[in-house]
Amino acid sequence: MKKLTIITSLIFFVLTGLGQEENKNTDTTAYKSRVLESTEIDILTSYYSQEGDNAAVGGGMGTEELTDFTPTIVVSVPLNDDDVLTLDAGISSYTSASSSNINPFDGDQEADPFQASSGASRADLYTNVSGSFSHSSDDRNKIWSAKLSFSNEFDYRSLGFGGSLTRLFNEKNTEINISGNVYLDKWKLLYPVELRHLAGQDEEQEPGEDEEDDEDEGVPWELMTGNLNYNPSFTPFKDDSRNSYSVGMVFSQILSKRLQGSLSLDLVVQDGLLSTPYHRIYFADVANSFIENFQLADDVERLPDTRLKAALGGRLNYFINETLALRTYYRYYADDWGISSHTASIEIPIKLSGKFTLYPSYRFYTQTAADYFAPRELHVSTEKYYTSDYDLSEFKANQYGFGISYTDIMTRAHLWKLNMKSIDLKFHKYDRDSSFSAWMGSFGIKFIIGDL
Amino acid sequence: MRKKIMLLAFSAALLGSCTAVKEYEKVNLNDPDMALATKKVDRFETNFQAYREAASGANGGKTGGGCGCN
Repeated sequence: MKKLTIITSLIFFVLTGLGQEENKNTDTTAYKSRVLESTEIDILTSYYSQEGDNAAVGGGMGTEELTDFTPTIVVSVPLNDDDVLTLDAGISSYTSASSSNINPFDGDQEADPFQASSGASRADLYTNVSGSFSHSSDDRNKIWSAKLSFSNEFDYRSLGFGGSLTRLFNEKNTEINISGNVYLDKWKLLYPVELRHLAGQDEEQEPGEDEEDDEDEGVPWELMTGNLNYNPSFTPFKDDSRNSYSVGMVFSQILSKRLQGSLSLDLVVQDGLLSTPYHRIYFADVANSFIENFQLADDVERLPDTRLKAALGGRLNYFINETLALRTYYRYYADDWGISSHTASIEIPIKLSGKFTLYPSYRFYTQTAADYFAPRELHVSTEKYYTSDYDLSEFKANQYGFGISYTDIMTRAHLWKLNMKSIDLKFHKYDRDSSFSAWMGSFGIKFIIGDL
Repeated sequence: MRKKIMLLAFSAALLGSCTAVKEYEKVNLNDPDMALATKKVDRFETNFQAYREAASGANGGKTGGGCGCN
């Protein structure tokens, strides 16, 4: 409550104080330009690939190989001088060795955490669509927007809505944005295959699998070795919802003719099922059972059903000269699961000509481990919460990036009624101080429709 | 946390008192590379970081939600 009072006071203080500046200096209602001159279409796509040896599906051990291809289209339409409607739709097609090992026994080869199962669950689709509407006041000093979104993948569905308010003051030198978002998500509870008979899920469909295609579902119990009295103390989750509520505030300020920055604050509350139902756990005090080379789960991860996150970030951009600019970013994060993190990044756009710009970048990230994380076989069955997901472990990561952009403000290249404005190409390499590494290439092309 | 919020309030007051840069003086600030937002093509980078790092922000995952659990 005390925090809420401080934040409310801060917002009131800034809004009223700077509003006086606006009254003194602003008279921009005489001429009103369109917020968006023409319809814009962004066609975006990315290819992502990762590898590592600490798969959460394997209780912290096993291949993390994953590839993801994501074509996306974003269309922004000016409805009139003041209003813009934006539609955003994308399909993400992924293959995941990790999710394939939810059922490691449905492939052609021996079950092994370091081997992706060749079964149907190796690939799946994620689809998302969102629409947003924004309205700007006549003097362009007030903007409000509303957003609705929906996404779906085999075992997860998300419905989101939100809105934001923006005010500009001080001859548009100062900007404050306040936003709120709600995501109401639903799980399809999918457990590791060897635990499903305890949840009454013997015939459960898996990611990428047709409804009729369940002939390989069975666990070959006759091949079990190690502890032959496999009797995990597993109970299914009762709740299949996950809700996220967030509020954010961004304060942006022009500091000189070459320097501008922003400060942002994000608060997020989550509740519901925050564990992933198919992340295996192997306890130190339970005897191990195996089928082929795959160890059978003692349980799935159990995490608290609430989480409070807070993040404080800042950006500072400096225009060095006509060739170089400096873009910097820092963010501190903490939550009530014991995780805190620091992120720092720098990007130096280098203009080669009026059309081509290079984007070398570097990003450093470090986080502490969640209170509930331990590697496999280190948790004991008497604990209340446990996970062996290495995304919740302590680690440091370095990311190197390089991009190139081509911009033609005259839009001389045409494709039917589409006038090409820009092309962006980026590449990122990401390395943790563990076995995990990833790379990603992304591509974007922007078109403007109609006569300019 | 309270200290951080007070720091934010102080910074807001400090920055708000800066001399205004006129519209005609913003030619360098209006350069697309000076924008305080990220480019659309950078959304994929943000998504995979939100998936692979515990410190994800106001969004649970990709644009429009998603668990990012693979």
